[in-house]
Amino acid sequence: MLEILQNNWLLFLVGQYPHGPIGGLVMTLFMAALSLALCFPFAIGLALARLSPYRWLRLPATAIVHTVRGLPLIMFIFWTYFFSPLIIGRAVGGVETLVIALVVYEAAYLSEIIRAGIEGLPRGQTEAATSLGLRYWPTTIKVVLPQALHNMLPSMVSQFVSTIKETSLGYVISAHELTFAAAQVNNVLLTQPFEVYGILALTYFALCFALTSLARLIERRISAGRGGAPGIVVAA
Amino acid sequence: MIRFENVDKWFGTLQVLAGISGEVRRGEVKVLVGPSGSGKSTLIRTVTRLETIQGGRVLVDDADIASRSVDINRLRQRVGFVFQAYNLFPHLSALGNITLGLTKLRGLSKAAARERAMEELARVGLTEKADEMPGLLSGGQKQRVAIARSLAMDPQVMLFDEPTSALDPEMVGEVLAAMKRLAAGGMTMICVTHEIGFAREVADEIWFMEAGRLIERGSPAELASSQAGSRLGAFLRKVGPG
Repeated sequence: MLEILQNNWLLFLVGQYPHGPIGGLVMTLFMAALSLALCFPFAIGLALARLSPYRWLRLPATAIVHTVRGLPLIMFIFWTYFFSPLIIGRAVGGVETLVIALVVYEAAYLSEIIRAGIEGLPRGQTEAATSLGLRYWPTTIKVVLPQALHNMLPSMVSQFVSTIKETSLGYVISAHELTFAAAQVNNVLLTQPFEVYGILALTYFALCFALTSLARLIERRISAGRGGAPGIVVAA
Repeated sequence: MIRFENVDKWFGTLQVLAGISGEVRRGEVKVLVGPSGSGKSTLIRTVTRLETIQGGRVLVDDADIASRSVDINRLRQRVGFVFQAYNLFPHLSALGNITLGLTKLRGLSKAAARERAMEELARVGLTEKADEMPGLLSGGQKQRVAIARSLAMDPQVMLFDEPTSALDPEMVGEVLAAMKRLAAGGMTMICVTHEIGFAREVADEIWFMEAGRLIERGSPAELASSQAGSRLGAFLRKVGPG
């Protein structure tokens, strides 16, 4: 196993770069971070729409969230892969496809986290802001979201962990990421799939375990900051 | 200044306010007393539409607050509200809690807002806590910051919803002292409180509520002389001498 790692660590880390497209662990992390960052505004929008007093905002947002959450991610990957060339008139690369699919998918999940964060705030917070005369947007931007997002930090790190694991599905559309790199190594070696995929598993595990631990640390910090009130349960 | 006209409110099938009428004139201090669940808090919450009403009218400066022509957010700037649970914004410093409304609603520059906020903190004796986060303040200090936050908007009326009920006994005094100074300065106030001593000292009129009805009202002196057989008298004896 060590020998495989010694001979192929660069491929695991950055894919075929600099002789080919960048891939491997670096691309996995890049795609996970990019999708999460891009889906963030959509997630906030969906969460606010779901909490809106207006039905015409609430109903479509609720429908979107339930639809996305009721379908497997690979459906979105296939749809994006096969339909976006029809829409934009040119072939779309694996990485772009995966990022688009992840943005749609993660936005639905993240919006539920944000909604929980907003609903978890004491009602007095919005009442106090309202009583000062602040309207909806200043109240949301200055009072509600800073607190909700702060409280939700551990859950967001957990969401990042799931996203990292989900990027492995990019393999089916040849997005150059970590699993794809492992498959390439395996194709070269042919006889050692157990070792190769063992390395792959250990890499994912080390990364995700480190991030989950980070989430727990943040959670403890936050609950200490609140005077020891119980924090949010982290599930990854 | 504030007038209640036959105000009715239901929570589902439970009537929490039943035909409340009354008036608060400029410069007056009204104190609402009564058992828990009698509708005192709900009544003052109707003034800034924190609670909607199902019957009657609430008027502020002769304008029906439910009417479309009233900008409720402007009205809320003129009517300060102090909560039992303080409701300070925990992610902002004491100063930040006060400057938020000044910068966002009054369009003050950061420096001007800071100066104005420091004045209000000085009025409640907390200038040295300006940069402290609410989590590190005592209950009494939090409530004084909350009062300063309301006062910074230059309200014409202050509504207090049991401002001392969540406080440890030794901190009640500092908050009541701030409220007494405010009353002495001529502020129009409606206070929901169980502090009977405060009511006797400061109130122009005490309103006694029970089961959603305003069943007795009068100046502290009038009530003292007539309280022997009344419901209010019985209530005051129960909550103890002030």
